[in-house]
Amino acid sequence: MKEETPFTRFRKEFAESPLAVLGLVVVLIIAALALLAPLITPQNPYDLAQLDIMDGRLAPGAKSADGLTFWLGTDDQGRDMLSGIIYGLRISLGVGIGSAVVAGIIGSSLGLAAAYFGGRLETAIMRLVDLQLSFPAILVALMILAVLGKGVLNVMLAITLVEWARYARTARGAALVERRREYIEAAECLALPRWRLLFRHLLPNCMPPLIVIGTIQIARAITLEATLSFLGLGVPITEPSLGLLIANGYQYMLSGKYWISFYPGIALLTTIVAINLVGDQLRDVLNPRLKR
Amino acid sequence: MFKRLIAALLLTASTAHAQSVTMAMSSAPTSVDPHYHTFAPNETLDIHIYDRLVERDPQNNLIPGLALSWQLIDDGTWEFKLRPGVKFHDGSEFTAADVAYTFARVPTVVNSPGSFSIYTKTVVAMETPDPYTVRMKTSGIYPLLPVDLTNVFIIPKNLGPAPATEDFNSGKNTAGTGAFRMTSYKSGERVELERNEAWWGPKPHWQHLTIRMIPNDGARTAALLAGDVQLIEFVPTADATRLRTDTRVSLAEIASLRLIYLWLDRSRTGPTPFVTGPNGETLATNPLNDLRVRQALSMAINRPAIVDRVMEGAAYAAGQFVGPGTWGHAPGLNPPTYDVAKAKALLAEAGYPNGFRITLHGPNDRYVNDGKIIQAVGQMWSRIGVQTTVDAITWPNYIARANKQDFSAYLLGWGFSEATNPLRSLVYTFSPAKGWGAVNRGRYSNPGFDALVDRLMTTADEAARETLTIAANRMAMADVALIPLHLQKNIWAMRAGLSFVPRADEDTRVMELRPVAAKPAP
Repeated sequence: MKEETPFTRFRKEFAESPLAVLGLVVVLIIAALALLAPLITPQNPYDLAQLDIMDGRLAPGAKSADGLTFWLGTDDQGRDMLSGIIYGLRISLGVGIGSAVVAGIIGSSLGLAAAYFGGRLETAIMRLVDLQLSFPAILVALMILAVLGKGVLNVMLAITLVEWARYARTARGAALVERRREYIEAAECLALPRWRLLFRHLLPNCMPPLIVIGTIQIARAITLEATLSFLGLGVPITEPSLGLLIANGYQYMLSGKYWISFYPGIALLTTIVAINLVGDQLRDVLNPRLKR
Repeated sequence: MFKRLIAALLLTASTAHAQSVTMAMSSAPTSVDPHYHTFAPNETLDIHIYDRLVERDPQNNLIPGLALSWQLIDDGTWEFKLRPGVKFHDGSEFTAADVAYTFARVPTVVNSPGSFSIYTKTVVAMETPDPYTVRMKTSGIYPLLPVDLTNVFIIPKNLGPAPATEDFNSGKNTAGTGAFRMTSYKSGERVELERNEAWWGPKPHWQHLTIRMIPNDGARTAALLAGDVQLIEFVPTADATRLRTDTRVSLAEIASLRLIYLWLDRSRTGPTPFVTGPNGETLATNPLNDLRVRQALSMAINRPAIVDRVMEGAAYAAGQFVGPGTWGHAPGLNPPTYDVAKAKALLAEAGYPNGFRITLHGPNDRYVNDGKIIQAVGQMWSRIGVQTTVDAITWPNYIARANKQDFSAYLLGWGFSEATNPLRSLVYTFSPAKGWGAVNRGRYSNPGFDALVDRLMTTADEAARETLTIAANRMAMADVALIPLHLQKNIWAMRAGLSFVPRADEDTRVMELRPVAAKPAP
C-alpha cells in the first residue's frame, strides 16, 4: 500500500465534499477566464474606440451595426456585457487576491511578532487591531478613498489597510498556541536568529488558519471592491469592474433593462459563493478539532 | 342609513379633494424669508406667497408683475409704474413705500447665506414721487435692472424695522401679495397654503395647496404614482422614460437655461498638459488654438445620439447658449452637423492627419449623466483619430483643478437666468477687475467679441439689445469659443388630467397647474 503523504490526505479530505470541488472548479474557470480575457472577449470594453453609443442598452442576443452579437446585451455606452463581465472579473480577482495577499503578509507578520515578543509591542499591535476592527470596514475604506482618489491601486491599498487586522488577530491566536511547543523551545536553545525562528519555524505551523482566513478574505475583498465601485469610489468609469457595471445598470432596473445589472450580479455572486465553498471546506479539512 | 353616510363622506372627501393639491419639491427651502437666501427652492416656495415688480414668462421674457410698466427716463434712472389696488395678505395696500421698505431691508438680513443685495446694490438711490411711481437711480446706464428685479420679492412696510427671519418661518411676518397665503411651515417637511382670493393675477384653481419636500428621486416618483402628490419637479431622466408610457401621469418639459458644454484649453500657446501627438510625443504648440481643430472636435460629436441615448430625450442638442423661443436665441444657428469625414479633413488641413491624443476630463457627480456624456464624447472623438482617454473626477476635486486651468478639454455646465449672462460670464475675456469672464475657465479671448458685449451691455433698448446679443452669440459660436453639447430639459410630472406650464427658469408654480378642461358628457 502506498504511503499517504499529508498532501494526498488533504486532497482526499477536500474531495469529500462535492460542493467544494464544484466551487474549486468554478474558481479555476473564473481565474482562467480572467487571465485570458484579452484573447477570448469579442470586444475590448476598455477601449472607447470599440464602443458605439448607438449600440447602447441592447437586449441580450441583439446584434450591433457591424454584426457583433451581444450575448448578454450591452450597457448604456454600448459596451458588450459579456466582455465587460470577463474584464470585470479580472479586476475583481486581481484586487481580491492582491489585497488579500498583501494584507496577509502585513497582518500575519504583526500578529506573529505580537505573539512572540509579547509585552508592550503586543499591547500596541493588538489595541490597534481592536481599534481597526471596531470600525466598519466599508466606512474606513470610504474615508481612505476619499483622500486618495479613485483607481485600482488605491482600492487595493484601501482594502489592504482595512483587512490586515483580521490576519493579525488570527496569526497571534495561532502563534500563542505554537510558541509554547517543544520545537520552538528547541529552536530557541539553538540560538537561531529571531527572524528565522519566526518565519521558518513559527509561521509554517500557523499557516492552516491563515490559509482559511485568506480565502474568506479574498471573497470579502472582492465584495468590498464591488461595493466601493458601486458607490462610485472605486475604479475609473471607463474601466468598469463588476460593482461599477452593476451600479451603471441599477438605474435602468425599473425600466425593464435588467441585464445591465443582472449578469454582472450573477458573475459576482458565483465568484463569491465559489470562493466561500472552497474556503469552508479548507477550514474543515485544516481544523484538527473537526478530525474524525 | 350607513350606506348614505359613507356616500356623503365620499362626496365631501371628493369635493375637498378637487380643491386641494399637493406638490412635491426636490429640495427643501432654507427659509420662508424671501430675502434670506438666493436659493432656487426658496424661490419656488416664495413665488406662491410673494410677488415681484417684474415677472418672467415661461420662456424667460420679462412681463409686468407688481409694476405695470418700466422705462429708462435718463441714463441713470429707471421709472416703474406700480399696479394699483393690490393688497397684502394682512389687508394693507401695496404702494411705492413698500418697494422702498423692501430695498432698505434686503441688505440688512442677518446671517444670510446668499444675500439678495446682489440684485439691489446697483440701485444707489430711490425716489417715490407718488404712491404708484418708483424711480430707481443707478450709477451709469444699467439696462439689466428690470432683469435683476425679477428676483426681489416685495414685503409690506407694516412689518416694521428689521423683521427677523425667524418670524417669517413662524408665519408671523409672512405676508405677501401673492396667490397663496401661508398657514403653516414645517422646515424640511411641508408647507400649507390657502388661496388668496384677492390676488391680482388669474385665480388659481386650488383652494388649498400643500408643498411637500421629497429629496429622494425615487420616492418623489413613487409618491406621484401612488397619487399622494399631484405634481413633482425635477423628474430624473431614467424615470422620465418610464413615466412617458404610464397613463396615470403626464409630463411637461421645456428647454432649461442650463447649458452643458466642453471647454478647450486656450490659456496656453505652448503644449497643453493633456494633449500629445498620436504616439504620445509632446507637441510644440497647443492644437486647440487652431480654429479648424476646434471645429473638427465639435463636428465629431453626434449630439442627437447623446440626447437620445445618454440623456434619454431629456435634453435639446445645442448649437448656442439658449434654446429656441428663448430671448437671445439666434435663429438658424443649429448644432454643428455630425460629420466624421469632414472633421477628419479639417484635422488633416490643420496639420494633424493622424490626429492626436487627448484626455477629456469631467465630473461624475454634478450634472445629469455627466460621466456618461464624457465617455460618449470620448467614443466619438476616437472615431476621427483623436485618441481620447476619459477621466471622471468627483466634483470638489474637479472644480478646484478646472479653476487652475489644469485640464485641456473638460466638461462643465452653466445655469443662467437671462441670455446675456453666459456672454458676460463664460466667454468674455477673463477680467477679474471688471468682474466679467469670471467663469471663463477656457480663457477664450476675442477683442472683437468683447467690444460687442460692451456695447450690448450699455444698450437700454430691449430689441436693440437682443439683436446685439444674437450677434455676439453667433460670433462666439463661429469661433468655437466653447463646444456646446445640450441644454438640459426641465421636466415636471403630474397626475393625468392635469395640465402644467413648464418654465425655463426651473420655478414650479402651482398657479399654472390646472385640470385639463373636462370633455362635455355625451
